[in-house]
Amino acid sequence: MFSFKSATAVSPNRVLNHSTSGMAHIGVLSLAAIAGSLSYHSIPAKLALGASGLDASTSAVAEPAAATPAAQKWLIRADEVHTAAGAPLRGGVISVVNGKIAAVVGAPGGDDSKSDSDDENTIEVFAVTPGMIDLGARLVTHPDAVEQSTEAAVWMRVSDSLDFFHTGWDRELRSGVTAVLASPPDNDVMGGLSCVVKTGGAPELEARLVKQDAALRGSMGTQPSMGNTPASGTPQNFYVRRPATRMGVEWIFRKSFYDAIAAQSDPERDFEGADVLQAVMRGEIPMSVQAWLTQDIRTAIFLKEEFKIPHMWVDAAAEAWKEPDLLVRSKIGVVFPPFSFNGRVGREGGFLTFGAAKEMHELGVNFAFSGHGTRDVAGRLAQQPALAMRGGLNFQAALRAATINPARMAGVDDRLGSIEVGKDADLVLWSGRPFLPTSRVVGVILNGELVLDPRKDS
Amino acid sequence: MIAEIALVALATVVPGGSNTNEPSTRVRVQSADFALKADKIFIGPHEVIENGMLVVEEGKIRAVGADIDIASTIPVFEHEGWLSAGLVASHSQSGGRSEVTDGTRAALPAAKLVHAFNPDHSDFEKARRSGITTMLLAPDGSDVIAGVTAVVKTGGGQVLSDSAHLGISMQTRALHYDRAPTSWGGLVEFLQAEFDAGLGNVGEAQAGRLPVLIEAWERHEVSRALAFATKNKLSGAIRGATRAGEQSDAMSASGMAAIVGPFRPGSDLRALKSVVLLEKAGVPLAFGVDAPGNSPDSMRLSSALCLREGLSRVAAWSAMTSTAADLLGVEKRVGRLERGRDADFVLWSGDPLELSSRVLSVWIDGAQVHGGQQ
Repeated sequence: MFSFKSATAVSPNRVLNHSTSGMAHIGVLSLAAIAGSLSYHSIPAKLALGASGLDASTSAVAEPAAATPAAQKWLIRADEVHTAAGAPLRGGVISVVNGKIAAVVGAPGGDDSKSDSDDENTIEVFAVTPGMIDLGARLVTHPDAVEQSTEAAVWMRVSDSLDFFHTGWDRELRSGVTAVLASPPDNDVMGGLSCVVKTGGAPELEARLVKQDAALRGSMGTQPSMGNTPASGTPQNFYVRRPATRMGVEWIFRKSFYDAIAAQSDPERDFEGADVLQAVMRGEIPMSVQAWLTQDIRTAIFLKEEFKIPHMWVDAAAEAWKEPDLLVRSKIGVVFPPFSFNGRVGREGGFLTFGAAKEMHELGVNFAFSGHGTRDVAGRLAQQPALAMRGGLNFQAALRAATINPARMAGVDDRLGSIEVGKDADLVLWSGRPFLPTSRVVGVILNGELVLDPRKDS
Repeated sequence: MIAEIALVALATVVPGGSNTNEPSTRVRVQSADFALKADKIFIGPHEVIENGMLVVEEGKIRAVGADIDIASTIPVFEHEGWLSAGLVASHSQSGGRSEVTDGTRAALPAAKLVHAFNPDHSDFEKARRSGITTMLLAPDGSDVIAGVTAVVKTGGGQVLSDSAHLGISMQTRALHYDRAPTSWGGLVEFLQAEFDAGLGNVGEAQAGRLPVLIEAWERHEVSRALAFATKNKLSGAIRGATRAGEQSDAMSASGMAAIVGPFRPGSDLRALKSVVLLEKAGVPLAFGVDAPGNSPDSMRLSSALCLREGLSRVAAWSAMTSTAADLLGVEKRVGRLERGRDADFVLWSGDPLELSSRVLSVWIDGAQVHGGQQ
């Protein structure tokens, strides 16, 4: 692993090089990039690396980076860099090379100087955060995106049902959400495997997929039983399948896992998807369960404990705050639905206060925010941290709940969720302090591509 | 049949060419059933023969060109207008509407559309009236694998091909609420399982002996269809492809053709522009008419609307004739005015690409099947 300290005289608190496994090659790149970009773009002396002779000694290394297409290289100068990986940097520079974050440099005293650089690859902005990640994005809502010929389609991958031409992806991207967990719609008890995809790029799975099989999607409550009726006479369609009640939903859920356990020891009882359920019980695939109301959250927690499912979160868990003891005991994660001003959220009439996130934080519960893919500007993910802060949550915890927390929950924190060297260059550029009602997302960088340019009127 | 003909000018005997010292480009025809002289023979937009002649023998084109010597015994008819190849419509359910998709199961690859073909149905008379002499009978897209398409003549009951494509649907319409698959992802999985088993006509498609015709209209459906075709090394055409011009890289990389339309006034402009983009990307194009739900006349209207948005005249014409014949696997029989091909042709009042031109008479296998009355 490359170390800045050994190669330069830069103090560790000015250069963030959080070690992430498998990033040795990035380390070399970052040196090249810093040397190349900082010396190239006439960064003020107080921001420059300080080590005399650095420019000269590394200029040869810098050549390959300089040879890459101009569009693949950015230098972002910001008054505030909120990395979600430590203390914020006042006055920071982020170097982006070939779609990755190549260097992050902070100036503890702040950067008062204004560069008069007219380099088109240098962007100045007030604040930068990591691209936001939405685990409950609900961009896939069409009922044809989930296989309803069975109520536990656990082996089905939603990735084959995605419509990357849907305008919702771009809407999320431009509002600062750079990756989402795409889950099947909740018409089944278990609708199949979710995947993490970027919200921009070429409209094909290959270009957008970050992680396949990132979670198994389940759903409690009324949605998976909605429209179902007991069979009368000859069944004519899939609405006559079980379950018609919450009890039926829970029964399907439990039966599936018991069958998977039985299949482990008896090959004759094996069935399609048993391997997925077994992987969930081993903790290799997390489980994401929609559960808005108290009784559904309790059911999810009881199932987590019964089948010893290591990684599970309740999605849209409006009323999770009502069961603090169970949350702590079960170590279940929580993804909030969008907050509302009267507290009423969701079709089932859940109640959620602004203070709920602060309570989760104090309990040590792992939680994340979601915008549910809404068209409503006021309900998007970028607005959720501010509402939680209104309820008492501190800024850093609010930031993490929109970035690194969801990245960790979905197992993509090796690439996404924070501003660290070697991670994907998915960045949100803000006009002011992030999340504040007076601040706006003015720029978005995705995979190193400037998809929303703060220098242009939008 | 010949006796029934009532053309503009009848039976003008042309002096037989007896001079053997003519240049070698001059074609000599000693025997034929009849010949037709037209002011303009429209081979294609870049090839219009002035005062050309078409010679028909035993239902086939014996010769076509400007310099043809024919024996004096051969009757010659004159047409003061244009003559072109008969049109080829690449997608219809004519004469079988409710019979073209069985619907009892999601996959019925052994079903053959040819058995739904009723040659005497009035749908074909309408097609002939529009200058269409060859038609693809294809499923309506409501089943995942609905069977094997057929290519038929619109007159005379002839079947050109009873195994033109394996008809597949990856459009939303193939998803039902009373049988699996019910979802886009489920459809891909279901289809892949059928191909993994590779039985019967599915195996033929897999082996490259039977092209596929995949219904996919929305862009995400087209994405899935192209991925499936590429993964399973299939060749054939995408039926629908409404805005596939916006995915033209993927389309051309897949090698799949596009069967587009029908279009009408008010059709999404993006769909028309998409056709132009597909041409630029080199994707072979043909028009579907979806008769009898749509008028067969919609094919010429579709080509005119695409022309208006920038489609080349060559592409607009070949989409109704030669390229269509290629996609239907009957290019050796129809789609071009060339020696040896079926004598399927249309006499027009003017340029066939102009909507103001009328179909005056239609001929299939050298026999008149429509028009002729002035």
